[in-house]
Amino acid sequence: MPSVAAPVVTGIDVTKRWSTTQALSGATFAIGDGVTGLLGANGAGKTTLLGLILGLHRPDSGSITVFGQDPWLAGAEVRARLGYAPEHDALPPDVAAHDVVRHLAELHGLPRREATSRASDALWEVGLGEERFRPVGTMSTGQRQRVKLAQAIVHDPELLLLDEPTNGLDPSQREDMLGLIEHVGVDLGMHVILSSHLLDEVERVSGSVVILESGRVVADGRMAELSNTDPELVVELDRIDGDDPAPALALALERGGLVATADGPRRVVIALGSPSVYDAVRDALADGGYSVRKLERRTASLEDVYLASAGPGRPE
Amino acid sequence: MSRREDDVVAADDRAQIYEPGYRPYRGVRLGVSHSVWALARHTAERIMGLKRPARYKVLPFVTVAIAYLPAVAFIGIVALVPNSPRRLADLIPGPGHYYGFITAAIILFAALAAPEALCPDKRSRFLGVYLSSPLNRSTYLLSKAIAVIGVLLLVTVGPPLLLLVGLALQNEGPHGFVDFMGTVAQIFAAGVSLSLMFGAVSLAIPSLTDRRAFASAGSLLLILGSGAITSVIVFGLGGPKNVLALSINRLPFELALRIFTLRGLPTGPQDGFVASAPLSTGVVVGASVGLTLVAAAVTWWRVVGTEVTR
Repeated sequence: MPSVAAPVVTGIDVTKRWSTTQALSGATFAIGDGVTGLLGANGAGKTTLLGLILGLHRPDSGSITVFGQDPWLAGAEVRARLGYAPEHDALPPDVAAHDVVRHLAELHGLPRREATSRASDALWEVGLGEERFRPVGTMSTGQRQRVKLAQAIVHDPELLLLDEPTNGLDPSQREDMLGLIEHVGVDLGMHVILSSHLLDEVERVSGSVVILESGRVVADGRMAELSNTDPELVVELDRIDGDDPAPALALALERGGLVATADGPRRVVIALGSPSVYDAVRDALADGGYSVRKLERRTASLEDVYLASAGPGRPE
Repeated sequence: MSRREDDVVAADDRAQIYEPGYRPYRGVRLGVSHSVWALARHTAERIMGLKRPARYKVLPFVTVAIAYLPAVAFIGIVALVPNSPRRLADLIPGPGHYYGFITAAIILFAALAAPEALCPDKRSRFLGVYLSSPLNRSTYLLSKAIAVIGVLLLVTVGPPLLLLVGLALQNEGPHGFVDFMGTVAQIFAAGVSLSLMFGAVSLAIPSLTDRRAFASAGSLLLILGSGAITSVIVFGLGGPKNVLALSINRLPFELALRIFTLRGLPTGPQDGFVASAPLSTGVVVGASVGLTLVAAAVTWWRVVGTEVTR
């Protein structure tokens, strides 16, 4: 597991079962500072994990700590430092956004006067300043998602849990929401756990990721570390006299001491161990008289990491 | 000085209003008890339809008005016809008998209030947001119970108290300060016991469903149905009179009568000759405590068992 300085949340061999469904089975992970993506397909155990972090459930086995405390045992103390925006549309439709946000601020211990002013601040921050006295039920889906974000940050939590915050948003609203999440994590300095089944949005805003697959953690760590492992050089070739050139080039490169594999009839993937690999590849291409269609240095994307480690129920 | 005023900087010609917006919160954070009261107040406001569109205010306010109406009428009669030949004031019920006039209002209010307190949170799954705060399921339920019992006090304590004060101002109330304060204490004791029992029962039913209409109908059915069934058993079939202690529309008022040290309701037909004895006070108190505890246990069991994130 990659080293994470001063983990905010740690889980060791966490299991949780709901009657016949094994939601988490031996999940071990560490979540550090900044924005962390909690990635997995629907049913992978993301929401269960958020419930465990909130101290709403007790793990069947294993342990989970938040800020060094067991959230089940120190529930109120831990939750006072958390903000949570649920996946579903939970806000009461007949209450003004400002009243909802102020109410949640009070529940988190803020005196009424402070709660009132911070509710306005939080709604301005998410772009709903002018709309803050409208009933939630009259707002668009995008606005309601923003209200959920506002109620989660109003009490200035140290850790923010966002469960599928872009659900139901169109591409433009989604981009705005991701920008807000990035702003909250970077500019406001909150740790954020962003639960999502969408690879690209996790990749877009997260500095770290925990990938869940059927209740197991299949990868976790900083995005930079995960995606920079084993950079590769991809060479795509044209056919020569109807023959597939990739196997012959791969063989030639291996004879030269490189790690190369034919990925299809016209594509060769070469491990980039050192800069001298470029020279060796250039020479092999020139010696063989290959016609190069594309030459690309590739680092593993989050999707590659996921595909390499997870099974068929993959995120979108 | 407010924080916004702190942010206004006026140093020289280049001065500008600096509005940083959202900032870290470094003020005081109050404890769980503050959260409990905040939720209780918010729930009470919801029950009464406050800070909501006008249509949500109609039923609760009309019900409360119905509960106060007889008291206002009685005080008006005493005030306007003070020395009539038959002394109308002698026919005016005291606070102890007042509940007989507002039984329907109390039952209706209980059946409306508690579903509004519990059902929307479950239906919209806002319960999960509440439980992500320092509240846990027990403190959440405590908040809801405080809210429901608190608003029920509006119709169980307020009207008889108004009647007492009104009569006292017309020199028709208890004689002397001690008697007056004793009656006030009886009103509070009876009102709290009524609120506790109806609050507990009316919270138990909404804990079984997330639909307000079903919960209100269920509460009314249970309260009125238990009265009808026990009456048939005792009065129609000649069953043991203690079965009446299971009548939820009767038992709380029986207890209130005992608090006012008044004779309870008869347990047999009143044909002018045979006045059957009321339930014993021991049975009434025991059944009241038992009913309240069972209803509270059902509510707690249901709220604790509600899934919020899975």
